[in-house]
Amino acid sequence: MKVVDADDLVKRYRTGGQTLDALAGVDFDLDAGEFVSIMGPSGSGKTTLLNILGLLDTPTEGRIRLDGQDVTGLSDRKRTALRKRTIGFVFQHFYLLPTLTAVENVEVPLLLDQPPGLTKRARSLLERMGLGDRLDHRPDELSGGQKQRVAIARSLINEPKIVLADEPTGNLDSETGRQILDEFQRIADEDDVAIVAVTHDDLVNEYVDRTVHLVDGTIGRERKSGG
Amino acid sequence: MARRNLTRTKMRSLLASLGIVIGVIAIASLGMFGVALQYSFTQNLGDIGNQITVSPNTAENVTELTERDVRDIQRVASPTATVAPVKQRVEPVSFDRRTTGRQLVYGVENPAELYEAREGRITEPFRTGALVGANIAEEHDLHPGSTITVNESTVRVRAVLAEGDAFSSLNPDNRVLLPASSFQERGYSQVYVIESSGSRANETAMAIRNSLNDRQERVNVMELGSIVDTIEQQFQIINTVLVGIASISLLVAGISILNVMLMSTVERREEIGVLRAVGYQKRDVLKVMLMEATLLGVLGGVAGVVLSLGAGLAINHYTVGDATAVFRMANAWYLGAAFSFGVVTSIVSGLYPAWKAASEEPVEALRG
Repeated sequence: MKVVDADDLVKRYRTGGQTLDALAGVDFDLDAGEFVSIMGPSGSGKTTLLNILGLLDTPTEGRIRLDGQDVTGLSDRKRTALRKRTIGFVFQHFYLLPTLTAVENVEVPLLLDQPPGLTKRARSLLERMGLGDRLDHRPDELSGGQKQRVAIARSLINEPKIVLADEPTGNLDSETGRQILDEFQRIADEDDVAIVAVTHDDLVNEYVDRTVHLVDGTIGRERKSGG
Repeated sequence: MARRNLTRTKMRSLLASLGIVIGVIAIASLGMFGVALQYSFTQNLGDIGNQITVSPNTAENVTELTERDVRDIQRVASPTATVAPVKQRVEPVSFDRRTTGRQLVYGVENPAELYEAREGRITEPFRTGALVGANIAEEHDLHPGSTITVNESTVRVRAVLAEGDAFSSLNPDNRVLLPASSFQERGYSQVYVIESSGSRANETAMAIRNSLNDRQERVNVMELGSIVDTIEQQFQIINTVLVGIASISLLVAGISILNVMLMSTVERREEIGVLRAVGYQKRDVLKVMLMEATLLGVLGGVAGVVLSLGAGLAINHYTVGDATAVFRMANAWYLGAAFSFGVVTSIVSGLYPAWKAASEEPVEALRG
């Protein structure tokens, strides 16, 4: 089943007198439980695509359906609400809140709603990430890999359909990177969550189902991975 | 979460709410200072606003007030008013039987309606003996039962009078009072009228002028009611100006909060971007940021109120001489106003940074 179905996405930026096509007609589909990486040189539009998929940005042209619903022209409010329901984010720089403990950081997306059992769920997610003994540590007491695992737990707290990761291994050594990618793979397989990772890191491609190459805002060759 | 965020930049939050603290203290304690000043002043003024003094106009060759004048005054004064005619005479007086000095003595028919005794008793009717003011009594060590000599006849002191209001023309502190019946003069040198309120006194004063100064400016009528009113109004104005000046310091505090919040939104741009990305509506971010500003304001306000209560105790201790006088309605009003002004200031100055933080596009914020 397709969770994301994007057709002919165009994103145009106007800087000064020039217009720049960050995306020039990109089609992108994503199935549930699929682990896809997007690669390409800087300026190829990877992050722009990720932002549009994550409803952080809107395409200038084209259509995007999320979980069967057309989300192309939604207002900021509706997009925000939808993000909360269906999308999880993992960032290169983790972006954990330094004042909160690991558990609280995981709870952040739902902190204002306070659904019952939130803390319990946050704990069990962290335990799944192998951070059972770090629950009440602050981010500055955690290593990079641990921080990123907290961030992954955070991205899963709202039981999303898709997790979008921007350079998830970019700030980690390859050993920790592997652990993180293992986690992603497990999540995709066990929870049927689709994962899109934008990356420069070839290591990622050992784990993904499919790699999309972006060049100058268009899809280059697409390669199916072994799995 | 707001609380945690504040603890992160402890020093800066501290300084920002210190601004609020100072602002609140400035407003509250200047307000209370004004109240104390006014209170102690009114205490000194006492009842002089209710008093009228009628004296003959010597410029028109009127040297004394007649029985008829007194009756006229009684007629126009309100029924509840006290009308007390007084005679005056300069006599050789000796307080210690050795030295004799010339002293103005007053003849009063019924001193009990004007004065209270500090020692001894004011007899009614007042036929014999003398009453002395507190200052004279202290100076010459006089008590009820002591004797003084007036015009070579010995008179027994019946009572020492309680201290009067400093500015009152009735003030007995330096006076010697004798029964009016011991005076040979028929006319009166002064008539005191005591009304129940300042505005009554004012009306009565006008009525006295109308009836006694009809054809000739026979009498001078002095009443302080309107002056007292004016003085109190002046105090109100002074107080308002003081509080106005104090609120400038609160304004400065507000700007410092604005600065703190603005800095922290810039610093936390990415965090706020993450919040927006994980599904916080603009409204939610706005709430979180405003919560921080409110917390700063409330903390500063509470500290300010506590400190200015202390200051108020001190102020009242030294000006009114009674520290507990701080617990008065007017002071509570100033404290409350200062507190809410402090909180409102911090919310208002948190508004712009919070709005700025909330309306930042998450894409821009997260660009690394």
